[in-house]
Amino acid sequence: MTATRRTTLALLATLTLSACGASVELDSPTFPTPLVEPIDMHVGLRLSDDMYDFWYEEDVLGKETWSVDMGDANAMMFKQLFGHMFTQVTHLEEDDNPADWPIDALVETNIDKFEFSVPQQTGNDAYAIWIRYRLKVYDPAGDVIGNWAVSAYGKSEKGGIGSGDNAMENAALLAMRDAAALMIMKLDRETGISRLAKGNADDETQPAVTKAANETEDAA
Amino acid sequence: MIARLTRIAVATLTMITLSGCVTARMQDNREGFTGISEGESVVIMARSYHLGNKTEDKYLTCVEQALARGSEGLRVIPHREFVDSLFPWFEPRTAPAETKGLSKLMSRPGVAERINDKGVRYIIWLDGDTERVAGGGSLSCAAGPGGGGCFGFAWWQNDADYNASVWDLKGLESAGSVTADVSGTSFLPALVVPIPLIARTQNAACKGLADQLKTFIVADPTT
Repeated sequence: MTATRRTTLALLATLTLSACGASVELDSPTFPTPLVEPIDMHVGLRLSDDMYDFWYEEDVLGKETWSVDMGDANAMMFKQLFGHMFTQVTHLEEDDNPADWPIDALVETNIDKFEFSVPQQTGNDAYAIWIRYRLKVYDPAGDVIGNWAVSAYGKSEKGGIGSGDNAMENAALLAMRDAAALMIMKLDRETGISRLAKGNADDETQPAVTKAANETEDAA
Repeated sequence: MIARLTRIAVATLTMITLSGCVTARMQDNREGFTGISEGESVVIMARSYHLGNKTEDKYLTCVEQALARGSEGLRVIPHREFVDSLFPWFEPRTAPAETKGLSKLMSRPGVAERINDKGVRYIIWLDGDTERVAGGGSLSCAAGPGGGGCFGFAWWQNDADYNASVWDLKGLESAGSVTADVSGTSFLPALVVPIPLIARTQNAACKGLADQLKTFIVADPTT
């Protein structure tokens, strides 16, 4: 086989493959600084491996293969978010013993479920992503005090604002922002984590994040 | 020669007339006094998709640009910049759905200060979308060694229905709303060469709504 022929075949194969699917990769996304007052407590944050390296692939209607590579975007989001939600956060690795750290609570997170939809499935111009995170909150004794599934959703149109040709990437970012907003609003209400703050049992003053959540619930 | 020029002129006029086949109706419903001072600005937002709203991003951008355009254009804060600066209180999940949620929102730490810094006087919430509601005809194309061509006639109708609710952040109340109801029919006749006569329905809804919003916000009915 001549070099020209090989090149032509390779080019044809590439064109054929690229026409049968798409790949999306999140490249170091940034999240805005949230307007919240942190809860005064020391939290240990342990992220599962999939938060640092998440990759998902699915055949769409048996015609296209879509892959979404979120890399460490989820870990970055949780680290930034918790850094704003609590006065002190310590990141723990899988092998670290929480008892070795002077923390008020340990939060473990992982990705429970991931789904997406593309225009070929829905018949409109929208790309959508659903992410379900699982948050488990432990007290210093190692007992689970909260187990919360955070279901987040993001939707973006092809060619929409900020999406360019990367509507799926934008949908993933919006889903992560949705999760962050949900956690700011409801983490304390769902898990009661602020009860573990030192001396908080006798303190009638609620943290700002808790107040925000309560006010929103009341308004609703 | 003159007859040929006449034919061309008639054909051109016909195309222009047909491509402008759009009917539009703009209405406003005023609930309070409006007006805007120098240094004050507006933000255009889409109602949350969590509530089922399908307002297109490009429509929102179009209204933002149309409101800011011209010598009497308003000062428009890009909605993404506004949403980021107030994160997470204007995310699709957390943004207030009614004006009665405004006072609680403004009492949150840093929110009122951030809005004042940006000089935002009005938030305009867009709701609605453009949909194809009818269509028909038949068009077929073929190509061969001697050439190709199309024959037939197709048409379709798009309806653009949008509502803009204007919230006054000074009084923390609704100032009213402006609606755009635009219908446009596009045609595609083909006799060897297809001639698209496209009705720019969404564009007409964008320009019409923006013009009406400018009048609504700037004009004080008491003067």
